[in-house]
Amino acid sequence: MKTIFAIIALLFFALPAKASQTQSETFLMAQSAYDAGRYAEAATLYSGLASNGIDNVELHYNLANAQFKNGNLPEAVLHYRKAWYKAPRDPDINANLHFALNAAGAVEPGRSVFERLFNLLPQNEWVTIAAGGYILITLLLAFGMLLPPTKRTLFRTSLVFAVLALTALGGWWHWQKLNSNPEWVVVTPGATTFYGPIEGSTAHYKIPLAALVRQCSTNPKGWIEVEYDGKRGWLKKGTIKRIYP
Amino acid sequence: MKLETRHEVRLARSDGSVAANLKPLVAVLGIFLCTGAFAADVRMSIEPQLISLLDRAVLKIEFIDTKGDAVDIPNIEGLRIQYQGQSSETRIVNMKRTSKIIHNYVVTPTKVGDFTIGPVTCKYKGGQKEVSAQLRVIKPEDDKEAQQISKIMFSRISTEREKPYVHEPFNLNMKVYIRDGVQTDGNFSLRGGIPETGMEGELQWEITAKEREERNGVIFNVYTLGTSARTLTAGIFTFRPEVQLNVVVPRQKRRPYGFNDPFFGDFFGRQETRPIVLDCNTLEVEVQPVPIERRPDTFTGGVGTFDFDVSIGPEQVKAGEPITVKMKISGKGNINQITPPTIKANHNLKLYEAHTLPSKNPNEVLFEQVVIPTSDSVTNIPAITFSYFNTQTADFRTITNGPFPVSVEAMPQQAAQVIATIPSSIRQETEILGRDIVYLKSIPKKWKKTDDTPWQRNRFFQILLALPLLLLAAIAGITAHQNRLASNVALARRQKAPRAARHSTQLAEQALRKGNETAFNEALWNALTNYFGHRLNLAPGEVTLQKVLDRVPTEAESLEKLFNTIEQHRYGLNSGGSSQEEMKALLQQLNTTLRKCERMKL
Repeated sequence: MKTIFAIIALLFFALPAKASQTQSETFLMAQSAYDAGRYAEAATLYSGLASNGIDNVELHYNLANAQFKNGNLPEAVLHYRKAWYKAPRDPDINANLHFALNAAGAVEPGRSVFERLFNLLPQNEWVTIAAGGYILITLLLAFGMLLPPTKRTLFRTSLVFAVLALTALGGWWHWQKLNSNPEWVVVTPGATTFYGPIEGSTAHYKIPLAALVRQCSTNPKGWIEVEYDGKRGWLKKGTIKRIYP
Repeated sequence: MKLETRHEVRLARSDGSVAANLKPLVAVLGIFLCTGAFAADVRMSIEPQLISLLDRAVLKIEFIDTKGDAVDIPNIEGLRIQYQGQSSETRIVNMKRTSKIIHNYVVTPTKVGDFTIGPVTCKYKGGQKEVSAQLRVIKPEDDKEAQQISKIMFSRISTEREKPYVHEPFNLNMKVYIRDGVQTDGNFSLRGGIPETGMEGELQWEITAKEREERNGVIFNVYTLGTSARTLTAGIFTFRPEVQLNVVVPRQKRRPYGFNDPFFGDFFGRQETRPIVLDCNTLEVEVQPVPIERRPDTFTGGVGTFDFDVSIGPEQVKAGEPITVKMKISGKGNINQITPPTIKANHNLKLYEAHTLPSKNPNEVLFEQVVIPTSDSVTNIPAITFSYFNTQTADFRTITNGPFPVSVEAMPQQAAQVIATIPSSIRQETEILGRDIVYLKSIPKKWKKTDDTPWQRNRFFQILLALPLLLLAAIAGITAHQNRLASNVALARRQKAPRAARHSTQLAEQALRKGNETAFNEALWNALTNYFGHRLNLAPGEVTLQKVLDRVPTEAESLEKLFNTIEQHRYGLNSGGSSQEEMKALLQQLNTTLRKCERMKL
């Protein structure tokens, strides 16, 4: 019996702790390699963690830095963007992503007023606000019904939370759209969009290496209609790499 | 249009209702729609079927009364076929409706001859069909423009370095000649014609010059495009890139093809652009290998012409303190492929790995290496040698810098000093990074996995989200019910009726158990009057047999019996003479009757 408990304890506590320790060691080794200017080695170590399923903002950001220093601009932009999805307000990520896109000569994704508003918070924070707003609305309405003298005041107050919750739902939907219209990074130099999803179609416009494009639609023959700098065109799937999910 | 006209005539003639007139029309339309659904077909057409070299044709694949995707047309030597997009068309002629999805392709010939486009398989909903089209391309004698196109516009590729070495960058120049007067949209695209293997990276062409040049008495606008190429292997590399440009052609000079030619950007415009692929010469470059003979040990891969500078600092240190050696290699060649020159190992010198520093000058590379003298016996940093292959003189050259004198003082706690000073160099690098990208982030407190379910997608959270809404709905229901009862006395009393009756029957049961017949009869009477008083919304004194029977005629017999029996027992006709069984039976009858009444709609 004691042996069984020991095995269970090992499985639940010791093994995850050991794995966590290994991950931390690899992370620090990668940092040392980066500091020593061995960017390729740093990128390999960080990539190893990412391919093992680690999904921290810090990992994607550091991996992007290593890739940038190693001259692999598309991978750098890809991981900066991945980090940005999780922490869109992080000034370091924003600065480096901006820097990398500038280095690539790529246009930053167009940001309307709504997009700028919804990009202030990541999806989970919008969900928190929406859920909080919704709970507060229901509580205020419930109290309003139970306490008729305060009904009007409480109902009016609930309207404020309703606006907040609706805005938060908009924010959630903004991020949710990444599932149907994901972003891609151009990984092939001189990628050219075409007017139609067909070989021999007329060339439309060129997209710089490491530019961020947004998927509009797909074609079963391996073509993807993308939007870049307000223009739409078709790209072969092999020329771009998907960022999310 | 014809359909509308007939409809108007019918309306004008009719003096009946509009609906009556529309009925046959709807029926006819239905028949047409049904007929159309069975007329699916695919056709391929090309217009015109006879063109000259300077012209182009429009190929159409029409999906009639059906839908289909664009089709990949196989490559045909001598024809360039470009997909232009799709359009749709719906026609109603003689009460017959036809809809089409048309996929348009522009066919540009590059040589004369008879061509068959297809057969290609077009799949549509419900079937597939093989279609093909014929095109003849001629070079008529009177079409001088077509004959002379290669004299009007052409391109020439050249290089200044005919026999470069492996890894040595060499320039390729492409001159595009366009006769003065020929209008282009200013865009060039270079495609193909570059060796597929052995080249290092993609060629990035840039327009480097624009000038005018006279050739055989004709003035040409000459655009010079330049790029730098580098090979990974030796051998003969053949370059013949295709330059495509868009020429603006006055429309009235070419043949009209019809208004629905998708190539025309502007329906009413007088100009059109059309892509032309220019003739180009073939350039063969013989790339030589870097010789192995006489290759010095200090050769680190440099091919080109370079300078080498070394500086060290500080020159006065204590044993265990670092000295930074900075090496700069500048010049023309494969600068990015050069590995750092090595410092000769010495047991009194601790050498750290050299690393590359960022440089703004693309023609130079900077290396930095930390060297720590571990003893005060060190008097200099050894000479550093850099060897490279000089492509101008075709031999290896060696440049030596140093030795560099240094003054090293003895230091008792050497190890502690070494450890303390190394981070300072790292900090310096961190500052350099701060000017471009922001430095790394520190180790996260907790590791997250990609397959971790976000809390907002947790099933428990999603179920919990429903609770406030359910609570609100319950409170709303209760409040609404209470409000209804408050405003509707009849309903409130109706709901009270069973409870009031139950209370009285419980009292009757107690009286029965005690054998108190008077209290029993009183309780039964109260049960009847309370129930029907509430149920029929009557005042206490208004509950009479007649009023109850008026509202509950179906139970008249049992109610009459109950009322009469209880009343007789209460007022003495049979008082004191009932047995327990009779009382029980009476109570049972009361309960049964009230239950029946409870189920009735009154």
